[in-house]
Amino acid sequence: MPKLKKEIISIKSISKIYHLGNNVVKALDDVSISIYENDFISIMGPSGSGKSTLMNIIGCLDVPTKGTYKFHQALISEMNDSQLANIRNEKIGFVFQTFNLLPKLNALHNVEIPLIYSSLHRTKRTKRAKEVLKIVGLEDRMTHKPNELSGGQKQRVAIARALVNKPSIILADEPTGNLDSKSGLEILKFFDQLHKAGNTIIVVTHEKSIAKRAKRRVELFDGKITLDE
Amino acid sequence: MNNIFKNILIGLSAIRSNITRVALTSLGLTIGIFTVSIVTAGASSIDKEFEKSMDYYGNDKIYVSTWPWSFNFDWWKYRNRPRIKEEDLDYITQYSQYVTDVSIKKFTWIRSSYQNKASWLQVNGVYPSYGAMLSGTEVTNGRFFSENEWNLQRRVVIVGGTVRDGFFDGKDPIGKKIKIGGVTFEIIGELKKQGMGMVPGGTLDNLVIMPSSTFKRILTRWGFDELVLKTEPENLYKAKEEVGMIMRVARKLRPNQEDDFAVNSADAYQSQFDSIKIAITGMAFMVTGISLVVSAIGIMNVMFVSVRERTKEIGLRKAMGATNNNILVQFLSEAIAISIIGGVTGIILVKLMTVALASYTSFPIEFDLLLIFYTFMVCVFIGITSGILPARTAANLHPIDALRHE
Repeated sequence: MPKLKKEIISIKSISKIYHLGNNVVKALDDVSISIYENDFISIMGPSGSGKSTLMNIIGCLDVPTKGTYKFHQALISEMNDSQLANIRNEKIGFVFQTFNLLPKLNALHNVEIPLIYSSLHRTKRTKRAKEVLKIVGLEDRMTHKPNELSGGQKQRVAIARALVNKPSIILADEPTGNLDSKSGLEILKFFDQLHKAGNTIIVVTHEKSIAKRAKRRVELFDGKITLDE
Repeated sequence: MNNIFKNILIGLSAIRSNITRVALTSLGLTIGIFTVSIVTAGASSIDKEFEKSMDYYGNDKIYVSTWPWSFNFDWWKYRNRPRIKEEDLDYITQYSQYVTDVSIKKFTWIRSSYQNKASWLQVNGVYPSYGAMLSGTEVTNGRFFSENEWNLQRRVVIVGGTVRDGFFDGKDPIGKKIKIGGVTFEIIGELKKQGMGMVPGGTLDNLVIMPSSTFKRILTRWGFDELVLKTEPENLYKAKEEVGMIMRVARKLRPNQEDDFAVNSADAYQSQFDSIKIAITGMAFMVTGISLVVSAIGIMNVMFVSVRERTKEIGLRKAMGATNNNILVQFLSEAIAISIIGGVTGIILVKLMTVALASYTSFPIEFDLLLIFYTFMVCVFIGITSGILPARTAANLHPIDALRHE
């Protein structure tokens, strides 16, 4: 592992334990991983392997039961709800399998959502949202509502939304899962571009072909990392 | 602050996309606000009218009549009472220490006319002293009749404020001759207009005042007599008691006999009026209270539906960095907005109603800014109480669970 790169995320022996009745489920069992600037990582594993849990913890949507998680030296594992919300707002861009665009807002307003929760002024907000829509090549679709966009376009709006706050990492959860192969490939090429532009990207997937594009592959099984190369 | 404002805007945009639902939900509140506004406006108007009527009777006057001024009038008890006699006044002037001035007031309704115009007028026959005892009004044009005119039983009258418009097309009535019960009278004075009153007889201005001597000679067979006594306002109660005792002496009643006369004053109306007013407003507030509670429940219900419908949106907003407070403000402002929409619609309806009423009747409805302000505050309060629970539910949703929600 090239240690000269700057470390963004440092996860040290975290566990996530759920209590379902009398059963104790270890969704993550003593996992450690470091993620560096400009990494392009794929996280693979069968369902129930804990990859979603790991993703949620990295995305600050959840906190581990045990262990420490540092993001830019900040101790995430001990933060409260609103501190986590701020980290998500400023440092993390999410791309979901089902796009999760708000159906009543047009593309531009959807992209603006993360900026609403930061303290950016309205005019700057619109300017920045337009910029990223240009990056994803949708400057002519800004006033369209999600139901007027194709699947690939929707996911590009979602990526624009993830990029709008200039996040430290982009977390994509099965980003091509709901797309046909052609637009899926388009999105993947776009991820390559973003990586080349210096972004740090984490993709959760169960497709080998997608995982191959990543520069670093991580595999999980039964809550433990079985491969990291 | 800026952040709160943005979340309020998000909440408001939810209203725009659900207009039908919002309209139906806020309807309950509209009805509640409408009823309470109408009733309080009505009550305060009635109050004002009533005060005007009280001015008419005066807070320094005692009226000795055959019957009490009462809304629960027991006809069988009162029907055999003797009529009030002018001679009773002699006892009062002789024995009373609180009464400062007295007059008889003979009273009837008579058809009167001027040229081809005719109308029923209330006719009062009084002493010359009555001119100084007028309350709620005064002679603004011309003069009251004199002692001399009373002695000579002259046919002179002082007319109420509406007679000028009714008979003379707004022209000065002084010196004009009108016919009252077929007899010609000359108008020598005019009273200030008092407006509508809530006293027996309705309007306070549709009257003529003449010397009781003239009244007696020409109209003796009709009407009732009443003694009008003036005292100092602070002595009113003592004076009433004293007059009651003097009247018993005048009537030669034995101690075991009940009064066969009534000593009245404006405060008797006041207490009866107050109890009626309390009953009306009490009922209104109960009805309004129920309708406000029901509409608050309605808003709460719709807000829970709204939170449920938008669980995924809440999850997404949280993933994008919305804090619990952001979500709380968003949903709370939606609830408050629904409530205010209902309230404002109610106020607009009330306003339209008062405008419509004002053009059809002369009965004025009070409608003040303070009422609007109170209504607004009530709406905000209802919005908060009905919205806080759903909004808290939304704010406390876990982002992962919310995002997974279908």
